[in-house]
Amino acid sequence: MIKVRGIDVFSRPLEYLTPLGEQVGEIIREWVEKEVIPYRREFDEDYLEHRLILPPFKKLLGEYGIQRILFPEDLGGWGLGHSDYLCVAAFRMFEEIARADSGMAVAFGVVFWPLVLICCEPHVNRRLCEEFAPMFTGTTEPVFSCLAMTEPQGGSDIENVEVLKGSTIRTTAVRDGDEWVINGHKLWPTNTGGVADLMAVVCTTNPGSRNPEDIAIIFVPCDRPGVTQGPAYEKAGMAADKNGDIWFENVRVPLWYRACGPGDDAKYYGEVVSLGNMGSIAFAVGVMLNIYEKLQEYVNRKTYRGMPLKENDAVAGVLADFAATIEAVRIIGYQCARMCDRQDLYGPRWTPEIVARARAHRYFAADRALEAIGKVMNLMECFGPDRDWDVEKHWRDIKMVQLWLGGKQLSQMEVARWFFECETL
Amino acid sequence: MNDLELFPYPKNRLQKTDLDLAASLQNLVQKEIVDKRLELKEDYEGLLKPNLRKLLVEIGLQRMFWPESLGGEEHNGPEAAYTVAAALEQVGRADTGLAYLAAHNLALQAALAMRENLDTEACARFAPLFCDGRGPVIVSFLLPVFGEDGKAPTWRGKSFQVKARAASGSWILDGRGVRPTCSGVDADLFGAWCAVENEEQPAFILVPGDASGLSRGPEFKKTGLAASRNADLDLSGVQVPLENCLFRGETEYRRLLSWLYLGISATAVGGLLAAYQILKEWGDNRVIKGTGNVFKENPLTGALMGEIAQDISMARLLAYDLAGMLADPPSFGDAGSDGVFTAALMIVHQVLATAERAIHRTMELMASAGYAKEWQLERYWRDLKTVQCYVGSHELAKHDFARWFYGARTL
Ligand SMILES: Cc1cc2nc3c(=O)[nH]c(=O)nc-3n(C[C@H](O)[C@H](O)[C@H](O)COP(=O)(O)OP(=O)(O)OC[C@H]3O[C@@H](n4cnc5c(N)ncnc54)[C@H](O)[C@@H]3O)c2cc1C
Ligand SMILES: Cc1cc2nc3c(=O)[nH]c(=O)nc-3n(C[C@H](O)[C@H](O)[C@H](O)COP(=O)(O)OP(=O)(O)OC[C@H]3O[C@@H](n4cnc5c(N)ncnc54)[C@H](O)[C@@H]3O)c2cc1C
Repeated sequence: MIKVRGIDVFSRPLEYLTPLGEQVGEIIREWVEKEVIPYRREFDEDYLEHRLILPPFKKLLGEYGIQRILFPEDLGGWGLGHSDYLCVAAFRMFEEIARADSGMAVAFGVVFWPLVLICCEPHVNRRLCEEFAPMFTGTTEPVFSCLAMTEPQGGSDIENVEVLKGSTIRTTAVRDGDEWVINGHKLWPTNTGGVADLMAVVCTTNPGSRNPEDIAIIFVPCDRPGVTQGPAYEKAGMAADKNGDIWFENVRVPLWYRACGPGDDAKYYGEVVSLGNMGSIAFAVGVMLNIYEKLQEYVNRKTYRGMPLKENDAVAGVLADFAATIEAVRIIGYQCARMCDRQDLYGPRWTPEIVARARAHRYFAADRALEAIGKVMNLMECFGPDRDWDVEKHWRDIKMVQLWLGGKQLSQMEVARWFFECETL
Repeated sequence: MNDLELFPYPKNRLQKTDLDLAASLQNLVQKEIVDKRLELKEDYEGLLKPNLRKLLVEIGLQRMFWPESLGGEEHNGPEAAYTVAAALEQVGRADTGLAYLAAHNLALQAALAMRENLDTEACARFAPLFCDGRGPVIVSFLLPVFGEDGKAPTWRGKSFQVKARAASGSWILDGRGVRPTCSGVDADLFGAWCAVENEEQPAFILVPGDASGLSRGPEFKKTGLAASRNADLDLSGVQVPLENCLFRGETEYRRLLSWLYLGISATAVGGLLAAYQILKEWGDNRVIKGTGNVFKENPLTGALMGEIAQDISMARLLAYDLAGMLADPPSFGDAGSDGVFTAALMIVHQVLATAERAIHRTMELMASAGYAKEWQLERYWRDLKTVQCYVGSHELAKHDFARWFYGARTL
């Protein structure tokens, strides 16, 4: 074994770190080393069954109990929904998981994504917390959530709340007595394909309406009659995240399953978008950290004219660019997380301003990561696309980080709209 | 108008036979591959292998250069470069991997059977294999790689993977963990650029796939190019006749590579044309920003589509520029000259970099659909990246450019 510097050499703003995040980060590091990295080369073929992917999740989410973290302490959670360090801690966890497998990091992150709407200050929905906490805290089995936004006619438009104001949402929630009756078709949400136990569904209470009050985010336990999930799609990568169709046929849930209420659902939708972008940067960083490790092995082991490959100036130039990308993107990511945490300093994380900043950070990070990883693959020549070196897997996986959350172009529009005060984009 | 004709290429330089071949390939691959790929995906036995046979044997790409007297078509003048470009972009549109394999086959033919440098003896020995109609000949190369483990001798900064020595009327070849350019699992013929013991001059030696002492490792998984099932090889005292050494000179080796790079450039253009067709279908129908605004009419996404079309056009023109150089040695020099080789290397790298950018952008525009196997785009994205890596490190290629343009000597 060649002794090389490990992944901890890359800068993080130390003043942002939290003891909890660091502790859990260490636990996750050990977990990925033992439970994930040894098996991940088979994940692509496991996309439908998750025979290899589910057991490590059972340990992390269920047995270590990390699936509880957002719920209030008196409901068996860790109370992180009340903290102002949730995002920085989450960033660390996401990085660590993505280092092994960014698809797993996504599936993990999305467990908490919709729960943010009911567990975080200042919009804690105590009744829903009480309703759903037992699902997550009363078991050692892994429990998954999903946030169902995307529909067959398009995902970006549904996230483009500021301009389209929910007018393109086709999944309807109709009030019937003290219940919602939900009908519609979603596709692509993370943790579908039969994985999710609980979903938050972005609906309209008045199709075609541009009134934000008509956007409703409603929780639906997946075992309700009328919920059907299709099998997972086959994708270029991210096998550990199952994505499929979900059909809702007269699905009934109580009225109070609505996350935050008229107007507030639309408002706090921005929050999940900000956090989704923040998490995406962590996925990109985690992936690059692992590629750094792989690359260390490669350029130390391979030789060029009798010297390790890294001692060649041209190779070193590529290595430097890769390290510089990690340095810069990681700092951007932690800054994004910090911004989402310290709403007292930066303002609420659901506003178009923070959404725009987080989108800017994310698409910049994803673009840089892809470019940098592409160059590393090329440097490795025929070993770059070789599954045994793991780099290509990360390259395939991380492409999606650039594409989701409304695609890159929607991100550009939201960034331009905020920074340049565009009015008609 | 055939939508592939939208992208500029020097049609006036192509012979009628080239255009006819391209047209019949276009029809064939549409019916046999493109229309079936949703169902058969990248299935090797069900889709790729039978079509490799169709292309190489039935259409006869593997007979193209060989002398007629040996069963070939003797289309072996330099103008065949245009034929290679026109044919492989059609094949590449259907499946990048198949075109990549065909490019190898054609490059070997060009190296042996070009009219100007016809190697009669080698043709007589090897043409029958290609022309007997029995089956496709999968050709693979064992070329130097960047950063070999150990202290192997190098060629232009790359370490030889195979060592050869001549002993009592044979070549004896050795190499461990040798990574072929393609098809380690299936290749019928390996062309190895070998370091020769105690000699300066390397040798290009053909090794039949069933040679004793040659063992193939298990197929390894990789990003793309399903048609090229690859595996590492061990050559342990593999003995082949002295005549299997096709050449010792760098000129011949560079000529082989220049033709290979032409084939690969055309392959990549084919992949881009496929991506174009997939995106076009999507952009014609996808509505964004609420109702009525078709994707291609949005100023931003429309501009990106325009940029992709620009990239595809430039890549196609470049690939045909290379064909033009190879087709006209009196004007540009031999395909194996340093100047033409450098140009070929620059072009293949540029085409692949352009392809990478264009197909990344296409994926961006199609978002999840681009990422889903169902839409077929992602396979081209994986394939083209794989091809780029197999062509080699851009950093080392840049050294070749610096050698040629600035006279760098020690890189
Ligand atoms: C692994 C994975 C995980 C996913 N997870 C989830 C999830 O958890 N929940 C969920 O709901 N969905 C999820 N998705 C879906 C994903 O978020 C959507 O694919 C994404 O939002 C884009 O939507 P779309 O694919 O429908 O593309 P479209 O909305 O059709 O967009 C296509 C293109 O148009 C561009 N575009 C869109 N609007 C504009 C505009 N106004 N101006 C200019 N250009 C524009 C986009 O940038 C994109 O390039 C996931 C997808 C994958 C593959
Ligand atoms: C506006 C301006 C302000 C400046 N201010 C100052 C100042 O305040 N104080 C001062 O002292 N100088 C100053 N400089 C000079 C500047 O710092 C030098 O030009 C710079 O350090 C590069 O040195 P050089 O021009 O001699 O180039 P060289 O040192 O000759 O380098 C030429 C090229 O070789 C590359 N190179 C060098 N070494 C290596 C290596 N080991 N491996 C690979 N590549 C290498 C370099 O990257 C560069 O591309 C200033 C210059 C300008 C234009």
